[in-house]
Amino acid sequence: MTASTRADTTSDDLEARVRRVFDRAIARNIPGLAPLPQTESDLDVGLSPKELVYSNETARLYHYLPTQDEIYRVPVLIVMSPVAKGYILDLAKGQSLIEYLVMQGHDVFMLEWSAPRRDQSHLSLENYVCDLLSGCIDAVLRDSGEAELTLVGYCMGGMLSCMYTALHAGGPVKNLVCFTTPVNSDGMELYKRWMTAKAFDIDRLVNELGNIPGDFINTSLQALRPLQRSANQMKLLNNVENDAFVKAHLRFDRWAVDQLPVAGELARGLAKDFIVDNKFAHNALTLRGERVDLGRIKAPFLHVAAQHDHIVPAAASRDLLPLIGSQDKHEIVMKGGHVSLVAGGNAVFRLWPQLDRWLSARDV
Amino acid sequence: MASGDDMDPIRVWREWFVKSEKSWSDALSEMMGDEQFSKGMGRYTLEALHTHRMFSESMAQYLANLNIPSRSDILDMNDRLAHMDETLNQIQVELREQRTQMARLATANGTAVGVSAGGTVRPARTRKPAANPDA
Repeated sequence: MTASTRADTTSDDLEARVRRVFDRAIARNIPGLAPLPQTESDLDVGLSPKELVYSNETARLYHYLPTQDEIYRVPVLIVMSPVAKGYILDLAKGQSLIEYLVMQGHDVFMLEWSAPRRDQSHLSLENYVCDLLSGCIDAVLRDSGEAELTLVGYCMGGMLSCMYTALHAGGPVKNLVCFTTPVNSDGMELYKRWMTAKAFDIDRLVNELGNIPGDFINTSLQALRPLQRSANQMKLLNNVENDAFVKAHLRFDRWAVDQLPVAGELARGLAKDFIVDNKFAHNALTLRGERVDLGRIKAPFLHVAAQHDHIVPAAASRDLLPLIGSQDKHEIVMKGGHVSLVAGGNAVFRLWPQLDRWLSARDV
Repeated sequence: MASGDDMDPIRVWREWFVKSEKSWSDALSEMMGDEQFSKGMGRYTLEALHTHRMFSESMAQYLANLNIPSRSDILDMNDRLAHMDETLNQIQVELREQRTQMARLATANGTAVGVSAGGTVRPARTRKPAANPDA
């Protein structure tokens, strides 16, 4: 060994030793620092094994691989909101609605949306319901070999699911479940006031920007409860010694600011037809020339609302149940907020078992 | 006797903030819903859009002179990558379907129904719920 190689090895050893001592000192003396993830990938979200089944424009359909020897006959398709990423329902092992449903023997698919490119700003509500969601439903039926399926829509995904089911009253939707789904824009007071006062000139925004950026969506959502994020950060500081709390907080926080951009025409349609004109609640919305009449939905229906939901407050969602034409319809109002309802620590004990019981009785 | 944490004024202030956040947030949201505020925000948004456009145009020229890519160039590249990503997705879906077909052909002697995409055997769809579900 030459003198220079020996010197390099010694300096490497020294550096490694200093690093080890430093890391250990920090881990021992600064509570909460040790479990902090070093990189984004350390937050390990969306880990349930899955396969891509269908891809078209912004739609990505995944099939979660079954873990049980015997599964329920009717496949379950979860439809995400076009502004939110799907990993909120598969946050981590033990904190994943997807993992839970797969373990209970359901055949689970998920329709996730990708960020629209600039040349996809023309995608409208009609495209999302009549082309993309419809294409995914066909793919689920083809893949599973079944003639019907259960739709589970989260937030705006629930709106899309209701629209599709109303337009296809004869099937193939066997059951319909909506989580915190807005139907009456009069209940979304702040957005209604902004839109009617022209705080956001949606035409100018879409014409200028093409797609509405994710940051813009995030800011609009935060305006509904401007200090909540700061309060959550205070909670984090008060719980830095609780490793599980820190990691869960970071996962939630990452998702909360990780909003998808919205295709321009979709944003324009939602702002005008849903927020300003409230057509969805009045069964006056038309897609491809056909009226979306929620009264035509006869499939068994379940709506799950959150008591402390500030994004879709009760006033915006409580009219959904009366508007649905099904005889077999239920609403569950649970403690929690818009996100903690489906992904919070208590969802494991509160919502998921109830959802499983409701689905399993109808997915045979 | 109060613990050390209870005596920490910063911690106490944080707890007060967390507890009172909802009412502060409600007050701020109410203020933002005011018609004058909404109109002011609308004006600000339009100004921001114009400023953004003017700045982007002048910067694009400046960056082009310096031979440095602008945000628009980066977005073009992002779109091209997204196109490639979509093409790869389509290939992935096609391959999965091909694997399914091949697996079905390989097991064509009677058990084709149980073969899933990817060529693995799919579980039977015969599961029944527990005896007394609450639904």
